[in-house]
Amino acid sequence: MLCCKRFPIIACLLLLAFWCYSTFAVAATIKIGEINPLTGRLAKQGSEIHQGVAVAVAEVNDRGGLNGRQVELISRDDQSQPDVAISRAEELCGWKKVVALTGGYNDSLVGPISEVAKKYEVPYVASASLQKQLTQRENPYFFRVANLHGFVQPLCGILSESLRPQRLALLHTATPGSTEFARDLRSCLQSRGIAVMLMEKFRPGTPDFTPLIAKLASMNMDVIVSSGFFADHLLLVRQLKENRVSPKAYIGPFGIAYESFVREMGENAEYLYSTFAWNPGISNPGTEVASKDFVERFRSMFHREPNTTNMHGYTSTRAVLAAMQNVLHQKKPLTGPNIRQSLAELDLVLPMERVAFDKHGDPHHYQHLVVQIQKGKFEVVYPPERSTASAIYPMPRWSQRK
Amino acid sequence: MWTTVLVSGITLGSFYTLVALGFALIFGVTHTFNLAHGELLVLAGYVAYWLWKTYGVSLLFTFPAAILATLVVCLILQRLFSRLREPMEMNSIVLSFGLAILLQNGMLFFFSGDYRLIRVPTFNQGLHFNTLYLSYGQLTLLALSLLVIGLLYFLMRHTFLGKALRATIQDREAASLAGINVGGMGVLAFAIGAILIGLAGPLYGCVHYLYPTAGLQATLLAITITIFAGVGRIRTLILGGWILGFAESGAVVLLGASWRELVGAVMLITLLALRPQGIFEREQ
Repeated sequence: MLCCKRFPIIACLLLLAFWCYSTFAVAATIKIGEINPLTGRLAKQGSEIHQGVAVAVAEVNDRGGLNGRQVELISRDDQSQPDVAISRAEELCGWKKVVALTGGYNDSLVGPISEVAKKYEVPYVASASLQKQLTQRENPYFFRVANLHGFVQPLCGILSESLRPQRLALLHTATPGSTEFARDLRSCLQSRGIAVMLMEKFRPGTPDFTPLIAKLASMNMDVIVSSGFFADHLLLVRQLKENRVSPKAYIGPFGIAYESFVREMGENAEYLYSTFAWNPGISNPGTEVASKDFVERFRSMFHREPNTTNMHGYTSTRAVLAAMQNVLHQKKPLTGPNIRQSLAELDLVLPMERVAFDKHGDPHHYQHLVVQIQKGKFEVVYPPERSTASAIYPMPRWSQRK
Repeated sequence: MWTTVLVSGITLGSFYTLVALGFALIFGVTHTFNLAHGELLVLAGYVAYWLWKTYGVSLLFTFPAAILATLVVCLILQRLFSRLREPMEMNSIVLSFGLAILLQNGMLFFFSGDYRLIRVPTFNQGLHFNTLYLSYGQLTLLALSLLVIGLLYFLMRHTFLGKALRATIQDREAASLAGINVGGMGVLAFAIGAILIGLAGPLYGCVHYLYPTAGLQATLLAITITIFAGVGRIRTLILGGWILGFAESGAVVLLGASWRELVGAVMLITLLALRPQGIFEREQ
């Protein structure tokens, strides 16, 4: 009976205790936001960025957080649509009051998010963004860990120094990043005496490349550079084989250097060239241990091998977390301007790159390696000082293969 | 080069027709505008991929399973669509749009966002005819598409069932007054549509690639060809498919790869403006 009379009081005390705990526990966390295309046409890449972000947050939390405060990651799906990306960014910056943003894949999604971040003065470190225009908009809150220069320079290098093709075709998709890449590569090649004989634009997801292949065959192209994406290479390379068109080299800077590509293409992936900024076993010199730790943590969390896209998500988040750590060390409040300032001064060596930003928010040291698939493995063939194997050039004709 | 383009156009056009046939038949008979058509195609492709990858089933034997899967889903869809009220076209667009999103997310959950490809090594070999090279992949696509279209043509023109279907396409009320079970024809159209989708899906996984949102492109293709040929005109679909396939291929060679979609879009807009009833349809 006595117990029944006291029940409301006990219940109220328990509720109060729970409220206090949850309130203080939440207050103790630091909220960062992440917006990625987890569904829609870019779901694969967005999910991979998200996994890298999750690894970075888990890593810092396992080490005790930032000055003893746990980091809470609030993830949102932009459904691969710019308008949804804007509303998710508004939600995270305006309502959830995150102190920084990370993640993001594709300029059409990263661009709108960066504008919302600027409006709320929330620093945003994008994981995968290439379009030059985005860092020329005078947005002091926008940073990114990737840029076009990191792709163009090594490719221009291998083409002009090693392969030196006579007849080069440059194919690119009708997306801003891919188009800019093609233009920059052409300029660089022309400045080094390599002529681009054919430059063609196509829509990502083109259902049939046969007419384009017939055109390439009629012009007798010996090197094809295609800045299409994963799916475009799946179709284009397979149709090259179907039509018995054997260039001396096929280079796809985006979307080839993935285990999943080799798995889907099988032996047809052999001898293709691509680029990556990082891969398990191939990391920024001096960061081998950190790279191994990342791989092990990733495997334990997601039960598969990480790839370069995962590493982009990890790197951008590590940059955000390091900048926040520096702000806390200086005993300053975690405000947007303070984190922005810290990001601008950041100099952090990570497995993918040494992270330091220029005055526009572009990375100083982002550099890809040119790789060739040899016996199902990615062998670095350029630059020479980091190569793990010699390039096989020209690649064997389709008819000469098994 | 032009022979390659011609062959490519005809092969692609035939496959386009196979993709569009199920949509055109279902729309013609039931007036259901099925926006989930492409998703069903991709689902059939995933069923084939799963059997091929997990159990090593050869492509040929994946067709029955893919057909069975699409048949089950299509008959469920038919039950859902049959409950809709007029205006049928508008209500079916709303329902099928929701179903398309549901199917996309279901496939994303079960198969992840990875791009999948059914590899058939013999598809990469082929035959030489002077300067023309035809891969077995192209030949299979062409032969299967033409065979299915031929069989469907025979069914529609030379069987009582086909005549009943055609009557329903032409005028549902008159068909009903003539004693044709219009509801039953709807079920039959969905069943035939499911078989066509079940045949096209695994081929799509071989000649293209699979990912959860790939269906949108196939749906747009089916809508385009159906408009092109005229609603309910099964026979002229193949000509529509060939013209579209050849126009796209020709545009790539003459104008450049970036013109491909524009040429298709211009053709469609011109057709809608000048011959909204379809290119081969007589004006009523």
